[in-house]
Amino acid sequence: MTAGQRTLAIQARFTDNVSSLDSQRMCEICADVAQVSGAGIMMMSGDIQRGSLCTTNKVSARIEELQFSLSEGPCLDAFHQDRPVLEPDLAHPADVRWMAFSGAALDAGVRSIFGFPIHVGPVKLGALNLYNDAPGPLTPQQHADCLVLADVVARSVILMQAHATPGQLAKEFEAGGEFELVIHQACGMVAVQLGVGVAQALIRMQAHAFGNDESLRAVARSVVDRSLRFDPPTTVTTSEDR
Amino acid sequence: MRETLLINTFVELTDVLVDDFDVVDLLTQLAGRCVEVLDVDAAGIMLASADGELRVVASSSEAMRTLELFELQASEGPCFECYNTGEPTANIQLTDIGQPWPQFSPRAVAAGFLSVTALPMRLRGRTIGALNLFRSNLGDLGDQDLVAAQAFADVATIGILQHRAVEEAHTVNDQLTSALNSRIMVEQAKGMVAERTGLDMGAAFNRLRNHARRRNLLLSDLARHVVAGEVGPDSSMWSRSDPHRDEGARRDDHGHRRAVGRLRSRSRCLA
Repeated sequence: MTAGQRTLAIQARFTDNVSSLDSQRMCEICADVAQVSGAGIMMMSGDIQRGSLCTTNKVSARIEELQFSLSEGPCLDAFHQDRPVLEPDLAHPADVRWMAFSGAALDAGVRSIFGFPIHVGPVKLGALNLYNDAPGPLTPQQHADCLVLADVVARSVILMQAHATPGQLAKEFEAGGEFELVIHQACGMVAVQLGVGVAQALIRMQAHAFGNDESLRAVARSVVDRSLRFDPPTTVTTSEDR
Repeated sequence: MRETLLINTFVELTDVLVDDFDVVDLLTQLAGRCVEVLDVDAAGIMLASADGELRVVASSSEAMRTLELFELQASEGPCFECYNTGEPTANIQLTDIGQPWPQFSPRAVAAGFLSVTALPMRLRGRTIGALNLFRSNLGDLGDQDLVAAQAFADVATIGILQHRAVEEAHTVNDQLTSALNSRIMVEQAKGMVAERTGLDMGAAFNRLRNHARRRNLLLSDLARHVVAGEVGPDSSMWSRSDPHRDEGARRDDHGHRRAVGRLRSRSRCLA
């Protein structure tokens, strides 16, 4: 099979049943074609991670959540550097990066991880997140397929959103999307508790999560069910939050 | 010599594809190069707009431009025909008795053009416009010139379609970003209302939605105001109990929300 035929074959996977192509199925096709343990599609807007369009399993979901919580990881790097970011052996990396992410990802069962930017020309949308539960690099064929996958995913996302009601997300994204809504709800609550803006509230929650070795999502849940409060300091000596 | 000119032209045409480029610049450059490289005296390009109507985009001379505009007005001529058929209209001698355009041809001859060719700008069966090549003398454009001209048109077509795809992706991505952002801000605003009122998230959402409805605001606009801290402390948004209103909001339906959206007015009082 030539490279061109291979590309067409991959594209055909996305188009052979267009009516049922939602983001969840896109992820499953990606994991299947790339022959990896799991896949996810991370959405970015501006430089901010906006959540996950889909993930194929709990580990993939954890990879996206960790990057959301910790603001570091291969998909964020792939997005920001606009190139594939490959870590064939997360336990014994050639260069140490992602101080917080790597250990947590290993704990979740990730042994190798690959991030590919998703873009249409200069328009950057997010990153494709692929992992394996065994160490080892992608073969040249897998790598080539992943580039095609990232390209087809980018076009598919644009096509789906192009048909959405203005101001709303395409309904195809609702199926498997995780937009970390509870975190944003908690941000609003903590912002009121501390009398700060939502951006600073998020930083405070991230710090709390990191300091207590909890996930950001778990911290957010505690805030929303009102078992955790962030109270401003009662003394006047520290007024940074005011 | 001619080969060098051809190669240079292709390099120029493909160069602009690498970076951000202006379509009119690209096509003006192409028209100019056609006159230099090919055995023609004037060149022009027409592109179809979104509604399918042809428009003059670039011309190598003012006489050419005037004639092309006339062609569009009269709805006849080589470019018009070529665009509509998607096939080349090659080497039509305008002084021939059988020439096909009763309005266009006399006008073209008066402007000094005796022989015309139009080539489709086409990719995979989709025609987006046509390249016009006019000669001041009678006689055919050679096969090599036709091949080169069609290749110019093809490269320009790829550039234009690529450019359009990127522009469309920009627009859709902006919409996607804005949809994601408003959704996030609605959640943040829900959290703020929930914290101040003691309501749960569902009731907090109803409070927001109801507040937006009464003030003819889009929910996403109201959420942005709430998150930005622009809703005053005395607003009914923060009142600790108003079961009737929150209950009423629960019976809201999508139709009503759309109607509210149409009526929205940012200038309304927020409090």
